[in-house]
Amino acid sequence: ENSPAPLPERAIYGFALFLGSWFGFILYLIWAYVPETWLFSLGLTYWPQKYWAVALPVYLLVSVGIGYILLFGINMMSTAPLNSTHTITDNFAKKQQQKKFQEEAIPALRDIPISEVNRMFFLPEK
Amino acid sequence: MAEERRFLSASGVPIALRRRQHSASCRELAVRGPRLQLRSLSAATSAVWLAAYGLFALCENSMVLSAAIFITLIGLIIYLHFMKIDQESLLVIGSLGIQVTSAYASGKESTTFIEMGQVKDVVINEAIHMQKVIYYLCILLQDPEDPEGVSEVVPLFQSSKPRLDCLIEVYKSCQEILEQRKTAPQSS
Repeated sequence: ENSPAPLPERAIYGFALFLGSWFGFILYLIWAYVPETWLFSLGLTYWPQKYWAVALPVYLLVSVGIGYILLFGINMMSTAPLNSTHTITDNFAKKQQQKKFQEEAIPALRDIPISEVNRMFFLPEK
Repeated sequence: MAEERRFLSASGVPIALRRRQHSASCRELAVRGPRLQLRSLSAATSAVWLAAYGLFALCENSMVLSAAIFITLIGLIIYLHFMKIDQESLLVIGSLGIQVTSAYASGKESTTFIEMGQVKDVVINEAIHMQKVIYYLCILLQDPEDPEGVSEVVPLFQSSKPRLDCLIEVYKSCQEILEQRKTAPQSS
């Protein structure tokens, strides 16, 4: 079954990813710092422009920063306005079926209309 | 008979609720917010004029100063006429309907009347509004096809935003009148 326990396969995957990410990082540092002439003399002439070694991280960080603001804005836009019926009910509540009341049984779960809830909370019981 | 009680709004500003009972089935509830303060008016005016003077010191164009005076005057007029609501009132007449009035600082009044046949109930609802959860009073309008359905929600006291203690007072007053609908069902 599915359990989060450590397994031999998971250890191997983890180690492979560990080596792969270190290799990628060292490769990125070589690309960014080694002068172009040295790379040409080694025969590596078709690597991308060093401009991207700075541009890509900056793009990434700016999009992370914008993402915070964007998520905040999307949340505010999706919130129902105060005059919408979505603050009171929804499709599930409108189509719910009334179960019959049985003596000495726990009443069935249902969506209570807001008028009834208000009467219970705010009008004192006589 | 009229009585006035002080409460706080959702943002902490002091408001006053005035209840008047005109007859057994007619009640008027008015929530009055604070008037425009002299210190906030002078603070805003000084800020705009200081900014304009700074701009004038930079660009040596005297039109900036006259523009700042013009903007301040027009801005104040627009604010008082369209944005600053002094008093919001609710007039509940048992067999007739509910009238909602907003009185602006410039004297303008905007009124809405809802006929009693359309009113399903007046409830206190809670909803998310600008990173806060607030309680607000609203009128539920009846859906003509579905006797249990709500066709529209009309929020009340939107600019003074009273807190729950004030809303409970208004709610109880409205419910006393709305209950008379069920106990005395006249035709129409």
